Amino acid sequence: MSALPPDRKLPWDWYDGVVPGNVVLEGEAYLETSYSFLHFRSEVPEAVRLGHATTVYLGSMFDLGPRARVRVGQFTLVTGAWIICDAEVEIGDYCLIAWNVVLMDTYRASLDFAARRRELEQLPARGLRRFIADTPARPIRIGRNVWIGFDCCVLPGVTIGDGAVVGARSVVAEDVPPYTIVAGNPARVIRQIENNESPETNPR
Amino acid sequence: MSQPPANEPGKFLDGKLPPNVRLGTNTILKGEHAFTRFHSQLKDALVIGDHCTMDGAQFSLHDTARVTIGNYCYFTNCMLMCELELRIESYVVIGWNAAIADSDFHPIAPAERIADTIACLPIGQGRPRPPVPKLPVIIEDGVWIGPNATILKGVRIGEGAFIEPGAMITRDVPARARMLGNPARQIGTV
Repeated sequence: MSALPPDRKLPWDWYDGVVPGNVVLEGEAYLETSYSFLHFRSEVPEAVRLGHATTVYLGSMFDLGPRARVRVGQFTLVTGAWIICDAEVEIGDYCLIAWNVVLMDTYRASLDFAARRRELEQLPARGLRRFIADTPARPIRIGRNVWIGFDCCVLPGVTIGDGAVVGARSVVAEDVPPYTIVAGNPARVIRQIENNESPETNPR
Repeated sequence: MSQPPANEPGKFLDGKLPPNVRLGTNTILKGEHAFTRFHSQLKDALVIGDHCTMDGAQFSLHDTARVTIGNYCYFTNCMLMCELELRIESYVVIGWNAAIADSDFHPIAPAERIADTIACLPIGQGRPRPPVPKLPVIIEDGVWIGPNATILKGVRIGEGAFIEPGAMITRDVPARARMLGNPARQIGTV
């Protein structure tokens, strides 16, 4: 674990790839595979920063555009999130993100049919045939100690407050207040939860 | 993939194309599992138009299923499940993990469901399966379907509609409607 070797290959990786130079792993952060960077295109310094002990498993994808930035705090468990980001996605400490979760700060498509049509006409002539967003991205913020169940989607511009729980298969289209359970498609508030955290029990 | 010449024949990059699939000019298909569940015996069971990009789309087709796709479509890692007919027009985008099905696949009535379960088991091989509701799905020009969305049988999605991520489409969608939720409701127009 921890620091990457100079060739930026993960010694345990099943995929023959490298971790991009602008990905920073703090302390004991763990990445299962460099395959997660298959769609990575960010050119900004420190495009991805994973905090100490944060772990990103197999099913995760960093689908980042050229100016995208992803920040993940400490002790966060990302089992399988598809992060579609053109601006900024921020995930706090002690979060649980389950498998097949989509976190998107951009639709990568114009809402306007005619603009989408023009983009699709240009696309086949472009190397790698990648979609390039012509719509503004709206950053996503996921607070501290947030649990997101499997198959959820978090839509552009959403903020999820500290300690919240998002039920499986929910689609979060609006902000979620702190210490709240939401579920459904679109997600609705189910109930509040008491914050019984005590800082002494948290690891450092 | 380098820049393709203007008029290159369509190609499948990860295996052998079934003989009853036709790809238009400049169309590129990718994905090891694109045809793992492709069982259609019809002539021209799958016809894809020109300038399409299908990266990781899975074509799960029953013996007599027919799928037609127009020009300039862009699909990533989606599942197309067809027992009857699926018609997708041009400029359609389908996102990661989205699913489209034109059938219920199994009967709803309990007795028929047991008969179907047995017919689907290896031990019941050769037994006739009870009829299952199937209705064609039609997706018109310029529809955008987000990741994790699901489109069920008998639905027609009107021109330019915008299907939000995770939406469950169970009824017809008017042209240019913006749909969200399970079941999906119209939240606006685009």
